[in-house]
Amino acid sequence: MAEFTSAVYQNEFLPDGGTDVNAIVTITCSGAGSAGRTGSGDAGEIVVVDTSGSMGVANMNAAKQAAMIALDNILDGTYFAVVAGNHKAYLAYPMVQTGAGMVRMDSRTRAEARRAISFFRAEGGTAMGTWLNLCKALFASIPGGLAQKHVILLTDGENHNETAAQLDNAIANCAGDFQVDARGVGVDWKVAEIRKIAQAMLGTVDIIGDPGQMSTVFAELMRNSMARGVANAELRVWIPQGAQVMFIRQVSPTVEDLTHRGTPVNQLTMSYPTGAWADEERDYHVAVRLAAKSVGQEQLAARVQLAVGTDLLTQGLVKAKWSSDTNLTAQINPEVAHYTGQAELAQVIQEGLAAKAVGDEATATTKLGRAVQLATESGNAEATSKLRKVVDIADARTGTVKLKKAVDKVDEMALDTASTKTTRIRG
Amino acid sequence: MTEPEWPLLPAPDPAEPTAAAVPTPEVAAPEVADAPVGPTCPSCGRPIDPAAWFCEACGSPLVPTAPTPAAPAPGPDAPSAQTRRLGVRASEQARCSACGGTIGSDGYCQTCGAKAPSPRDHFSASPADWVGGVCDRGVQHYRNEDALALWADGDRAVLVVCDGVSTSVDSDVAALAGAERARDVLAGRAALGQDASDEVLAQALAEAVAQANQAVIGTTAADSTNAASATFAAAVVVGNRVHYANLGDSRVYLLGPAQRLLLSLDDSMAQAFIAEGMPRAEAEALPRAHAITKWLGRDAVDTTPRTGVQEVTGPGWVLVCSDGLWNYASGPDELAAQLDAALATTSDPVAAAQLLVEWANAQGGHDNVTVALARVPAPTDGATGAPGTAVSLGAAAGPDEAAGPEEKESPTHG
Repeated sequence: MAEFTSAVYQNEFLPDGGTDVNAIVTITCSGAGSAGRTGSGDAGEIVVVDTSGSMGVANMNAAKQAAMIALDNILDGTYFAVVAGNHKAYLAYPMVQTGAGMVRMDSRTRAEARRAISFFRAEGGTAMGTWLNLCKALFASIPGGLAQKHVILLTDGENHNETAAQLDNAIANCAGDFQVDARGVGVDWKVAEIRKIAQAMLGTVDIIGDPGQMSTVFAELMRNSMARGVANAELRVWIPQGAQVMFIRQVSPTVEDLTHRGTPVNQLTMSYPTGAWADEERDYHVAVRLAAKSVGQEQLAARVQLAVGTDLLTQGLVKAKWSSDTNLTAQINPEVAHYTGQAELAQVIQEGLAAKAVGDEATATTKLGRAVQLATESGNAEATSKLRKVVDIADARTGTVKLKKAVDKVDEMALDTASTKTTRIRG
Repeated sequence: MTEPEWPLLPAPDPAEPTAAAVPTPEVAAPEVADAPVGPTCPSCGRPIDPAAWFCEACGSPLVPTAPTPAAPAPGPDAPSAQTRRLGVRASEQARCSACGGTIGSDGYCQTCGAKAPSPRDHFSASPADWVGGVCDRGVQHYRNEDALALWADGDRAVLVVCDGVSTSVDSDVAALAGAERARDVLAGRAALGQDASDEVLAQALAEAVAQANQAVIGTTAADSTNAASATFAAAVVVGNRVHYANLGDSRVYLLGPAQRLLLSLDDSMAQAFIAEGMPRAEAEALPRAHAITKWLGRDAVDTTPRTGVQEVTGPGWVLVCSDGLWNYASGPDELAAQLDAALATTSDPVAAAQLLVEWANAQGGHDNVTVALARVPAPTDGATGAPGTAVSLGAAAGPDEAAGPEEKESPTHG
């Protein structure tokens, strides 16, 4: 069984009349094992390949190879299926018309699936909502259900053959049921559209600028998924009666706002989905508003717990101690300060690129300048180097920048997809 | 039961070998090759632990066919408090004094989050009916770093107060360890039948300070960059003699109608100014008045206590306290007035100490408050000093500190 531990980083001291408590809670998982092999139930993997006409021969061939390599990285015994998607969704493998729509991986099924993939041809449009809905039905077709469900989704274009509402409905239908890591190849897809899918489905989004990288990316995605031996963990946050959650966000490895994704466990506890876990660390920023107490009082501001099923596996305590000692109360915890900056960094990059896209150069310059400043201050080298391809930096310290005249679309999309990645302040 | 009808990918070209030509695998039944040898769940067919009450896969209830394996004894690798499974039996659940909710195993209310008072926040001790004390968190500090340790037998008593320095780490643990170690050393040397001469007890006090220092250092983490530290004040009562020692600014008073004395002398900035002629009230109001110049702990420079002995000439009380009390009544006359007010309603030393603590908290409770009291002269054969014979301090008759106790340096640090 996996072991979870937690650590809380905060300044517990509040000044007289202070109400707002901020803390970073680090949750660490070790001994996670492999997907589907920890006795908690079977794992299922679906590889969804965009086979729309726009893929063309080169991208289609690269995608076929990448999908096959993804299959090679699925552990034997894992349930799997391959879906081909254009304006419709097709079950490419297993070739069954009824019953269980997924089979266990072994050398025979792997070879058959590779063969099925080899027949893919690029034609038709794009309707990603239907792809997601088919995945949900396939996962649900396994008798007894699967404990862990994961999809790798590849696309190259906009969701032309569905309305935004249709896609939103499909996302709402599937959210919480399985996880999706989404990758866009080329520059004709919409980062916001794919990010919406990945965020709701507790996965990641990234651009594959060069089709030649596709196989490497798919192999890594599948290996990462297979290393997640803890199927479905949830973050539970208890706050005292009368208190209020200002926000809850994951801040490492990426920024994801969880505030409005909670479901109540009881009157004082909300549960936030975190998906499957490998051996890894994740940081959460919890901000709670309390009724002020008198100096000298101490109280608990939040219990931050990680639960799998009904088992609480670890708990971090966020505290509040009111003090008249300004040496204690004036300090801002370095972890809290760092991740507050990283969350703002993600926001200003996205807002800056959105402003640039609609021709609002003044806003874009201000926002991206602030992003340069934040990335430099926090030592976020990846963000700094990606920003450098979109703006000319006059003074990183003050955030003085000029928008580049000619920007490669790939660089702009890479900056956008990477905007939520954060650096850690510790080791 | 409705089966989904899967939308199969259309065959690419009739001329090419079609996907349908690939034999369709049988997928309906679970693979036989993987069939487990052990017991399986009657509901879902997956392997189960013979001792399990529920199937791990589908959750169906099971009847165990093997006894539950005994939990392994906790070893060095046992989970820490941080990672241990949470949850507490109903019988162990306490009620929150603030809202009536249940106190969780983490020590906080499950409803309002109030911190459950820890036994460390407020405790009292009463080893005999003529000796008692109270140690309290006060109002403004969130932790009680004061410590109290008492002992009494026959006509002999030991009173020790330590005040952990709040800027150091774990000083609450260190102060209590130090006070209790000193109490044990002194109780051993002052026990009935032992030679309780002035020389022996002066030596015992010096040894108690050295041992308390070791206890404080013993609670300090090796890598602590802010070593725990504490003050020290102790009184040993033997019949009508009071032996005392102190380091830092915790104090020993002798308060009675005949004698009103501050026996101890602070090791503090304020005292340094008083020694140079500044009036006490003015010196104790200085911003750095409370900076102490001697303390117990790993970073202590000088742990030589100031020791002394005072003969008791009439009925009264020995009072040992932390600055949480004397901050509000420093001079012996002022403090005697507060003690007298407490004794007007009770003759019990614990109850009187509690009243003094409450009085200090009513003045603001800016610091932890500790008060230890022993009625003097000590009862002989446990017959004197019976409850009800409260000693009123009456009008001030005795001289103030000017009368001065005999003072001497510890013999071990000549």
